[in-house]
Amino acid sequence: MSGEFYYPEIMPPGVALFDYDNDGDLDVFVVQGEMLGSAPLDRAFFPPRDPASLRGRLFRNDLHIAADGTRTLHFTDVTERSGIDARGYGMGVAAGDFDNDGCIDLYVTKLGSNQLLHNNCDGTFTDVTKASGTASPGWSVSAAFVDYDRDGWLDLFVGHYVNYRVEANVKCFGLAGARDYCPPHMYPAQPSRLYHNNRDGTFTDVTARAGLSAEFGPALGVATADFNGDGWIDLYVANDGQPNQLWINQRDGTFRNTALPAGAALGAQGEAKSSMGVDAGDFDNDGDEDLIVTELTGQGVDLFVNNGSGVFEEQSARAGLREPTLPFTGFGAAWLDVDNDGWLDIVTVNGAVTQSVEAAARQERFALRQRKQLFRNLGGGRFEDATSRTGPAFARAEVSRGAAFGDVDNDGAVDVVVGNASGPLALLINDVGQRRHWVGLRLVSADGRRDMLGARAAIVRADGVTVWRRARADGSYASANDPRVLAGLGDSNQPVTVRVTWPNGRTETWTGIAADRYTTLRQGTGR
Amino acid sequence: MTRRAPIRAASALCAVSMVIACRAPAAHDAGRGALRPVALPDLSRTAEPVRAQLREGEARLRRAVSGSATAPSDLAGAYGEFGKLLMAAEFREEAEICFHDAETLAPGDFRWPYYLAQLYRARGEAAQSTAALERALQLRPRDVAVLVWLGNAYLDQARYDAQSLFDRALAEQPRTVAALYGSGRAALARADYARAAQDLEQALAISPRDAAIHYPLAMTYRGLGQTDKAEAHLRLRGPGEVRPPDPLMLELDAMLESPVAYEVRGAQALDKGDWKAAEAAFRKGVELAPAEASLHHKLGTALFLDSDARGATEQFEAALRLSPRFAKAHYSLGVLLASSGRTADALAQLTDAVRDDPTYVEARLRLGDVLRRSGRASEALPHYDAAAALDPRVTDAPLGYALAMADLHRYRESRDRLADAVKRYPQQPVFAHALVRLLAAAPDAGVRDGPAALALMRDVLAREPRGVGVDEMMAMTQAEIGQFGDAVTWQREAIAAAQPLGRPELVQRLTAGLHRYETRQPCRTPWFDDDDLVR
Repeated sequence: MSGEFYYPEIMPPGVALFDYDNDGDLDVFVVQGEMLGSAPLDRAFFPPRDPASLRGRLFRNDLHIAADGTRTLHFTDVTERSGIDARGYGMGVAAGDFDNDGCIDLYVTKLGSNQLLHNNCDGTFTDVTKASGTASPGWSVSAAFVDYDRDGWLDLFVGHYVNYRVEANVKCFGLAGARDYCPPHMYPAQPSRLYHNNRDGTFTDVTARAGLSAEFGPALGVATADFNGDGWIDLYVANDGQPNQLWINQRDGTFRNTALPAGAALGAQGEAKSSMGVDAGDFDNDGDEDLIVTELTGQGVDLFVNNGSGVFEEQSARAGLREPTLPFTGFGAAWLDVDNDGWLDIVTVNGAVTQSVEAAARQERFALRQRKQLFRNLGGGRFEDATSRTGPAFARAEVSRGAAFGDVDNDGAVDVVVGNASGPLALLINDVGQRRHWVGLRLVSADGRRDMLGARAAIVRADGVTVWRRARADGSYASANDPRVLAGLGDSNQPVTVRVTWPNGRTETWTGIAADRYTTLRQGTGR
Repeated sequence: MTRRAPIRAASALCAVSMVIACRAPAAHDAGRGALRPVALPDLSRTAEPVRAQLREGEARLRRAVSGSATAPSDLAGAYGEFGKLLMAAEFREEAEICFHDAETLAPGDFRWPYYLAQLYRARGEAAQSTAALERALQLRPRDVAVLVWLGNAYLDQARYDAQSLFDRALAEQPRTVAALYGSGRAALARADYARAAQDLEQALAISPRDAAIHYPLAMTYRGLGQTDKAEAHLRLRGPGEVRPPDPLMLELDAMLESPVAYEVRGAQALDKGDWKAAEAAFRKGVELAPAEASLHHKLGTALFLDSDARGATEQFEAALRLSPRFAKAHYSLGVLLASSGRTADALAQLTDAVRDDPTYVEARLRLGDVLRRSGRASEALPHYDAAAALDPRVTDAPLGYALAMADLHRYRESRDRLADAVKRYPQQPVFAHALVRLLAAAPDAGVRDGPAALALMRDVLAREPRGVGVDEMMAMTQAEIGQFGDAVTWQREAIAAAQPLGRPELVQRLTAGLHRYETRQPCRTPWFDDDDLVR
């Protein structure tokens, strides 16, 4: 933070949870920024201890699980060794194996040109941005690897935010005259981009051909899922201050935005909200993908409930989510079964974007801190605010932005890594989920190499109850999640039946999948 | 800057006020206790006029507190007024204390819980806002604003008893748009679509400018399965909040004497189309902050909209003296100069706008248009291209490019661009119109294609109402395929449609065209200067 209220300062950082070295546990990548403007780095509000550290950082997970199940977590900064040189003003990160070599690659979004970092499968990465044609210059925040055309290769959607230049930074003020960060409408939106994977290390910009250039807004959050149940992956884009977009895959390389008639573009009163984070998940266990979208203080989170055919109704008030989220500005968010009772809960990480006048008057340099929230799914479409029971980790007020969700210690409970603006990374370990039973799945391609992002699993318990989960790395805000599927089984430790619908539309079934462990299901090996 | 010593009522006065609190009807929690101290916050980051206001407000409160004869209700008023000022300046913590103290001193005065409710609402503290509104409602059970705001708060909690509050508001004032809107939303929430439609349609009928009503109405018709109506309302939806008449909040919103506050008021007036009110607000802002270029620019905009071109020019020029690289001011001045025929000056300003902000789409488009219309079509091309790359949604860019190509006699390229645009923007008839004209009347025989023009015209006629432009295009097309008799008929229809428009030069031109068709000559000019396409 430079003190000059440059707009990009309040947006990052995103984080990634991904297994870069294929040793079975999740590693962490976090983007970094730099000093904007002409002032020297030591004039930053929170100058870094080591200026050389101002590049994206990769932390290897050295998880050790003892024979008795005790877990020891330790991370090692392996950035130097990895060869990752992600400088500039980083915003977010997407993770996906774009070349199907079995090693997860990274796409780093920035103010400026983005970077595609190829995982060389030997602990190192190579910057292949130029060769791949994916620089996508401008200001991008969230991105997602998605196989939209079902050819078995991950394509890339890059959400662009606004047209912005540091030298043209607009000065904004609060009503009483104090300087503050500007709202997004001060700058025009930039078109987002869709890149088709050519399978040879290069990508082609197919934005216009796909019909995505005709409508766009300042994109902040992206979630990919099959929203209308036709077996093809669609895109949901959360736009800041403009209607969100629900790009329904037309199955011919093009998309059509149906958000407005589908009831997923705006808040309940028809207002275009400041949508930041987004996740898709089946919270009501009816087999379709619903949406949670985080918003600004005073707006309340949006819960778009899917009727199964890609038509939604905003039900945050009825669900008990609206009131408790009104005081907060939410960024990273996800559907996750915190307590493994079989119902998806919600975690949001929060942090303001405009200064509290009082805090500024108290000379607080960074008056944007807010606590995180956890909403427990009660079933029946309702949630309770369970934040007070989460312990001090959630009570700590930070300026949280990106959040990556995944099982960092492989104990069957979803943990959270939080990226904080001008603050340390936070790793929140879930101590609740492992008290109940669970099933973990890694859904991979026929050759066993790649996580099949977008694959859906219907997990049928011994008592006949079915829950649906999806392998996904996108969603949240500017972050990449654990692609493994984790489903809570409650008190049942009986084996389950799993029916997987792959991104190409084919379905396979496995029976006798054991509880309380991770199982890899390879495409083509089921019934 | 250190904080001033907190203001405390004298202990005797505290005792008096506590006694008063005991005697007065307890409209709220009587365990509130002693008054809380109010401290003036650090004002070093506030604008000077606001600082002066807050210091004066604090001084008034101190005088009231120290005055031994101050009646509790007057003291409450003093706390309350200071609280309003603090709230207007967004010092909500201190404002909250003032309102609490005011409510303690005068528990029967409904203003204080009402302002507290609005303060909590601004902070997103819904439960506290609701509680304060309920206290206000106890004091004034028939207040429409309170009933509506509380109904809205209940809706946020999915409480179905919100409906009774809106019903009570409507019983007081049946034509309150915000109450009808709330009632409609309450009905929608419980899937009573018939009631929702009734209430929301009534709200819209009373206040058609409240475009925010269209969205819940669209969702209502969606629930009723009336997709066409739903889509129609979705197309008409707009931003804004449907608020009840709220004199107390209007008073608060008008309190702050800061340049930004006036800028906000001016912008709100512009949104409502009230140019004079916008002008007044921006003028006041300029008085308070004469060195703020954006305020001059906004004042200029309001003046321009109010048809005061000279006043607008002065303000745009003032903005540029203060901030010579202010792209928006260059653009606005350029537009104004272009509209008054000062092309060279307009081009200079628009060029500066683009230089100062190469991503400024509107400036690029306007510069392209002015260049094209002044016979410099080749110089316009890169600006249209840049605008299209910056914002593919903007249809003026590909249209302008195609028109420029035609001006340069590059008719094939123009045709190809238009054909591509017709596919890419099927909802924009202007591209089909331009393409029909080119196919029917391009000077280049290699580009003309009468049958293709006719096929396009069939689509146009199926989708659009008849009028001058459509009839003229059909006449051109018929002439191109040798059907001069039909061309004459269509051209006569165009003339008949043009006559009531009060544009004699248009009628004259169309009549010249008619003579051409009568002598079996086709048209070889795709568009004219008076065509809406190029205007």
